[in-house]
Amino acid sequence: MHIGDFAFHRPTTLAQACSLSRELGEGALFLAGGTDVVPDLKRRLRPATDLISLAQIEELRGIREVDGGIEIGALTTHAEVAVHPLVRTHLAALSDAASSIGGHQVRSQATIGGNWCGGVPCADTPPASIAGGAVAVVTNGEGEREIDAAAFITAPRVTALNTGEILRCIRIPARPAHSGTSFQRFTLRKGLALAVASVAVGLEVEGDRINGARVALGAVGPTPIVAKASIGVLEKATATDEVFEEAARAAATDAQPITDLRGSVDYRREIVTVLTRRALRQALGRAREGAMTGGGER
Amino acid sequence: MTHEVLIRLKVNGDERTLGISPNTTLLDALREHLDLTGTKKGCGMGDCGSCTVLVNGKPVNSCLLLAVQADGAEITTVEGLAEGGELHPLQKSFVKHGALQCGYCTSGMLMSSKALVDENPNPSDEEIKTALSGHLCRCGTYPRILEAIRHREDFADTPLDTEALKAAEAEREQKRDHHVVSHGVTRYDGPDKVTGRAKYTADIKLSGMIHGKILGSPIAHGIIKRIDVSKARELPGVMAVITGSDVTDNYYGVSPARYDEQILAKERVRYVGDEVAAVAAVDEATAEQAISLIEVEYEELPAVFDPDAAMAPGAPVIHPEKERYAGNINTKVEWDFGDVDRAFAEAHLVRKQRFVGNRTYQSPIETHASIARWEHHGNKLTIWSSTQTPHYLHQMLSRTLEIPMGDIRVIRPAVGGGFGVKAETTPLELCAAILAKETGRPVKMEYSREEMVHHFRGRHKQYMDLEIAVDREGKIQGVKSDILLDGGAYTSFGVITAYYAGSMVPTLYKIENYRYRGIRVYTNLPASGAFRGHGVPHPRFAFESLLDMIAEELGIDPIEIRKRNAMEPNYLTVNALDISSCEFMATLEAAEEKSEWKQRRGNLPEGRGIGVGCGGFVSGAGYPIYRSDFPHSNAVIRVHEDATGVSLHIAASEIGQGSDTVLTQIAAEELGIPYHQVWMVDCDTVLSPLDLGSYSSRVTLMAGNAVKMAAAEVKKQVLAAAGEWLGCDPGGLVAVGGQIFIREYPEKKMSWAEAGRMAFAKNGPVVGTGHYRPPKNLGGGFKGSTVGTSPAYSFSTAVCEVTVDKETGYVTVEKFTDYSDAGTVVNPVTFHGQVEGAIIMGIGEGLLEDTVFAEGGRLRNPNLHDYLIPTIADVPEIHTGVVESYEPRGPFGAKEIGEGSMLPAMGALANAIYDACGARITSLPITPEKILAAIKAKEAQEGSTS
Repeated sequence: MHIGDFAFHRPTTLAQACSLSRELGEGALFLAGGTDVVPDLKRRLRPATDLISLAQIEELRGIREVDGGIEIGALTTHAEVAVHPLVRTHLAALSDAASSIGGHQVRSQATIGGNWCGGVPCADTPPASIAGGAVAVVTNGEGEREIDAAAFITAPRVTALNTGEILRCIRIPARPAHSGTSFQRFTLRKGLALAVASVAVGLEVEGDRINGARVALGAVGPTPIVAKASIGVLEKATATDEVFEEAARAAATDAQPITDLRGSVDYRREIVTVLTRRALRQALGRAREGAMTGGGER
Repeated sequence: MTHEVLIRLKVNGDERTLGISPNTTLLDALREHLDLTGTKKGCGMGDCGSCTVLVNGKPVNSCLLLAVQADGAEITTVEGLAEGGELHPLQKSFVKHGALQCGYCTSGMLMSSKALVDENPNPSDEEIKTALSGHLCRCGTYPRILEAIRHREDFADTPLDTEALKAAEAEREQKRDHHVVSHGVTRYDGPDKVTGRAKYTADIKLSGMIHGKILGSPIAHGIIKRIDVSKARELPGVMAVITGSDVTDNYYGVSPARYDEQILAKERVRYVGDEVAAVAAVDEATAEQAISLIEVEYEELPAVFDPDAAMAPGAPVIHPEKERYAGNINTKVEWDFGDVDRAFAEAHLVRKQRFVGNRTYQSPIETHASIARWEHHGNKLTIWSSTQTPHYLHQMLSRTLEIPMGDIRVIRPAVGGGFGVKAETTPLELCAAILAKETGRPVKMEYSREEMVHHFRGRHKQYMDLEIAVDREGKIQGVKSDILLDGGAYTSFGVITAYYAGSMVPTLYKIENYRYRGIRVYTNLPASGAFRGHGVPHPRFAFESLLDMIAEELGIDPIEIRKRNAMEPNYLTVNALDISSCEFMATLEAAEEKSEWKQRRGNLPEGRGIGVGCGGFVSGAGYPIYRSDFPHSNAVIRVHEDATGVSLHIAASEIGQGSDTVLTQIAAEELGIPYHQVWMVDCDTVLSPLDLGSYSSRVTLMAGNAVKMAAAEVKKQVLAAAGEWLGCDPGGLVAVGGQIFIREYPEKKMSWAEAGRMAFAKNGPVVGTGHYRPPKNLGGGFKGSTVGTSPAYSFSTAVCEVTVDKETGYVTVEKFTDYSDAGTVVNPVTFHGQVEGAIIMGIGEGLLEDTVFAEGGRLRNPNLHDYLIPTIADVPEIHTGVVESYEPRGPFGAKEIGEGSMLPAMGALANAIYDACGARITSLPITPEKILAAIKAKEAQEGSTS
């Protein structure tokens, strides 16, 4: 289908963009890379009277170090996120998630902000960010607020953003010593495919003792899921195969999958178990490797 | 209306300013506003990558980018790749390595490749795969694309018109008895396809052209109570609206015994998407809007979505107006050959198994497109169509629209893949013709990806009960095959499919006792049609699987049991198919050796398995689709006046398989001139004589024979002139590579062009005609015995290795080793490309693909987003080999390769997966979910018995 008519706006500051959005109301959509918005417009999934392009707003771009952690501007493309050394150092799971999305063309065009704000259940960067304790930094043009990564997507295609608010950046805290993350994703083919399920894990260890654990699930619920039962198993436990196995099985109970073209409820739970086990092992390996080399994750 | 905005782009180095509406994608801006049609539209949703261009050096899907977003950017399209008239090394390399077939994905592939090598001049294979995994190539050219990028510098300094491809790989295992045939000459259509110059139907713009769209039914079964088109007519820009009452009452279809379709529904709709009305408007967007304004009131009827339900007593009748389709039975086949009951009674072992196929879709990257224009005061119709079969389209337009064939001209521009889906007339061509007549304007109509899948004509889903009886040594004593085919709402090719599903089973192994029951049933789903391997891949998958199960039970090696039953040359099968040349045994032996079968089987690491599968196909159907006494292929060769060039006029259809190249080679070989001196004129029914087109793998053998005969006739005239000049008997002359010499005294010679010029000067135009008809009386005379007849058959064996992740069921295909008996290979580059592509398609159909329907018969995956076909990242290492073979009925000994080569793949995969993890999956596709369930079931069983 051809795209219906809309008015196109190109604000150059965040303040302009936010006030335009408030002025134009529900029918106005923000446009970043467009790889989700344009197909939605073609399918007439969203009625849009106006598109507000964010492309001119420079402060939405780039990755920088802030307070030991990093901020990833909402307009940063997946291709940029995937290869950036700072992201690799602080949250390897996010590098892996970004490099697994779509094909190269989509990664060159699609942005991390778009991935979050699209709010689709199978989005890859939100669970990976949850594993690193990230927050979304949101502006209304006048002031900012932080939204916990796990609370950003509230329902399929719905976010915690109010009208007139823009996701400015993803803020990722400094990676604690002796910690590692992992992002595991299962797809039906190797190239260009949506996740059947994805699991992101962050582990902080001291020797064999797990001091902190984050487990987030993607594509197996209406929103990215924080796997509470699984985390409960891991917290303050010893990092053994048995504990990981128990945590992996618990993650399957945390999942709330549906049956669709990519897999059934039962199969998805199976996959969550497998991916969680693999993610825990990789995260632990990375944590130990980091401890030995004293450097960031590789 | 939105106001236009002004944007500035630097396109291929030129500053361009465009006034466009903000809702225009960059793709439409390039194609429609700047006429840069080298960038293709395959899906419009970012799933296929054929629209990829570089924006500031980065590859992006131009269908997902609004042109306004690119304001101020530097854009490079395929038209901008060549610099200063010199092709980019990648373009040359793609042509030289055969890294393109239909060419529709090629420009996108090239752009991503360029972005890759600009950034990373020495990419690893993994890096190439990552860079290109956002592109779909349904021809499966991926291995050659990898090769072309790896070795792109090899041809940087080689002009493209150099004849032989120097890559040693292209010459492997190929004997050189000829000067042009069997040489890997560059594809005839290669240079145009790597530069974006090749024009596909959707690329053509005619003066005054308007655009049409078709409205499909939203329900699966119902009666049309009322159609109100008034709002659509009133929409500004709409020029015509037609419904069932505006079209002829004629039924059309493919098989004359079952014409059951009408141009637009007259009364009843039978599947979601059934065509109800059509509009023509100033542009496609307006036409889309207009069809949404057509109001149709339906009386919804109960619908049936599987063949068992359709045959149940009291089921809704889908074609009630025709008594012969009572009980929704479309076709019924009952064949009994030999003494089946006795064979089964006396057999050592009988195994029976149910297998279920999948409803896969051909998914060529080019969607169907058609343009109609009336000329000569509205008396003559020209149709441009993305068809595989110009002649059948020609005949069906004539019959359905009631216009003499003489008043219709069919032009087939470049075709972006077909695989069977473009082998039949569609409502696009018929409605375009009617709308063009009504408006007096040329009308272009294209299916979107979604509309195209709704129209369907993909593979029949088959439910197969197969039973094989063997003796102690594993020799097949008898076969019973009972198949139910889900036909969908119309017949399409389906009668033939139902026969093919039975007729080809006895061609691979010697089977003396055979019973086949086939029933094709109407359901309220989109009609199934002909898809590569037509009707045969599912029964072949079943047979190859069951044969392995039997071999295991008897303790016989899977390749050994195949050898014990292998078909032999000069064999008349029990269903009267005349097998001429046959080197099936050689393919088994070669694949066994090259794959290191004996060393590897049983010695592979945990989770890895090896399996074998076999197949083969006809080299052209022995009989045409509708009865006629015309030769099946016809060719005219005309020598230009100075004889430095000749034109080959033939209506065979290049759809990516390489037929233009192969036929040009055959002409050049027989004439004795260089390949590049032949012009191919194959796309226009006014310029070229009847050919039945590209289906049933017929072109190389049938059209090739017609071309050879025409060339021989031309050569005779030219040699006569040469004999006169050289003062010798023409019978003693030889023509090779543009030279004519006396066989006994090779130093006495003249140029072919000089002799040709003399012949023309003396006698007028030097023209040769050729034709081909298959041997008379093929087949057994029983009902349906014509289906499966052919002058010759191909044979292939494939060995495949897979790794199964036992925790997820995921299959990684590691390796395929394939050997084929295709007779003489006319072009090794296109040959290997066809086999690789067939294997990759087999991997897709075997592991990934199926169309899925929601309640109410609505397709859930009519796109390339949820209907997954293999990407370059999913492709294994593939070795394709040729066994020595000569088919006496083929031109220079050639036979088919395009379809037979995909038949071994699914069986080989199923058998390798079983070897890897013990999961015997009998329904397609073999998904990770099915494998994991089977592994768990097996573990549970073993746990309970131990």
